[in-house]
Amino acid sequence: MTTTTTPAPNRKVAIICSHGGLDEVYPSLILANAARQSGIDAFIFFTFWGLDAITERKVDHLHVNVVGQPSSGMPTMLAGLPGMEALAASMMKKSMAELELPTVREMLQILDESGAELYACELAMKMFKRTKEDLVPQVKDVITAGDFYDLSEGAQIIFT
Amino acid sequence: MATSTTDLTPVLERLDALAAKVELLAERQRAHAELIEDMTPIAREVMTTAIGKLDAMDRAGYFDFAAEAAGLARRVVEGFSPDDVRQLGDSIVGMLETVRAVTRPDVLDAKPIGLFGAARAVRKDDDVQKGLAVLVEMLRRLGHRAEEEAAQPAALDKRARLAAMLGPRRARLLPAPAAPSITVTPVARAAAPARAPACATPAPASTADPDWTRAAGEQLAAAQGLTLTDAHWVVLEAARADFAATQVSPNIRRLTQIAGVTTKDLYVLFPKAPGRTIALVAGLPKPAGCL
Repeated sequence: MTTTTTPAPNRKVAIICSHGGLDEVYPSLILANAARQSGIDAFIFFTFWGLDAITERKVDHLHVNVVGQPSSGMPTMLAGLPGMEALAASMMKKSMAELELPTVREMLQILDESGAELYACELAMKMFKRTKEDLVPQVKDVITAGDFYDLSEGAQIIFT
Repeated sequence: MATSTTDLTPVLERLDALAAKVELLAERQRAHAELIEDMTPIAREVMTTAIGKLDAMDRAGYFDFAAEAAGLARRVVEGFSPDDVRQLGDSIVGMLETVRAVTRPDVLDAKPIGLFGAARAVRKDDDVQKGLAVLVEMLRRLGHRAEEEAAQPAALDKRARLAAMLGPRRARLLPAPAAPSITVTPVARAAAPARAPACATPAPASTADPDWTRAAGEQLAAAQGLTLTDAHWVVLEAARADFAATQVSPNIRRLTQIAGVTTKDLYVLFPKAPGRTIALVAGLPKPAGCL
């Protein structure tokens, strides 16, 4: 029992979250959380649609994109009908609640508390005309792609 | 003379026989003529009926009919053997001969007869009787068919009526218009719960260390560079109690719920991989799950 499970001290991951679907945001958040639980430093860079996951008025209303999603099992013709997206999202949220999976907002909170760092992409912020005030309080900073490379030095990069 | 008389006798007998035969033929011809006369109005009637029937079919749905007809040829091929077809060919020859026979000029020019003539023909002539029998049989079948038709529930749609008329159908050729074929895929599948955990953790050892003591815990913590305080022990005791109750090593999320601490607290107390460290120090198996 003297061997430790603690990983090498410098190990870190940089996760780029570029999509805003419920099913696209969770993997980023869970990967980051798992990294922290494993003693790995983690930060997430939210860009493009991924910004929705850290935008105050959007974070609780993320949807699942079922159109063109072969794994959804729903024919594309039907998936495009009005309300299907919301329906699929609510179904998925329900199954997540059954697993006692935290909501996206709770996940952001947990990540923040566990020491993961959340960053927003400056260019995407300009594009979507959002300011830091529009974002959830857990976001540490709005940074550029160059800053991202500085931060991710020595990190494993995961793009989702 | 006697000789000549004797010679003449067979000739006369033969003549007699011939005369009888001619008479018979004449009689038969009259019977034919009678039949033609009787048949004419009937034929006209049949014609009218047939036209009506075709019209009704047309109204019933020409396209349905055409669709069924597409399968008809195949059914004929499958339903009849080559022998049947050969027989049919022979029959057709017979039919054509019959038609030719009854349309010969001498037949058509036959003397008209009335009701009595008809009665006589029916009574005396085998051919007429036979023909009559055929006609009656045809009428019987037609009537039977009509009966069946009338017995069909009115609710049956065109397609079903057509199918009844054309005999047993093969679903393969023209599948019945089944219940709405657009079935909505259960949406539940779209939100399969299996998708939620994005990582898989190998099954951990499921038993706690039986030799664990607080002192052993202190040592294990020291090996991790930790000095245990009361705050640490609150969490460790909670984890041990939870494992005793559930036989499952608590993960970080569970620890925040059972020990009354925040996630942040856990990371402060056990900075490196709190979930694993707590389990290690408390002598419990490595916690499973992603949270």
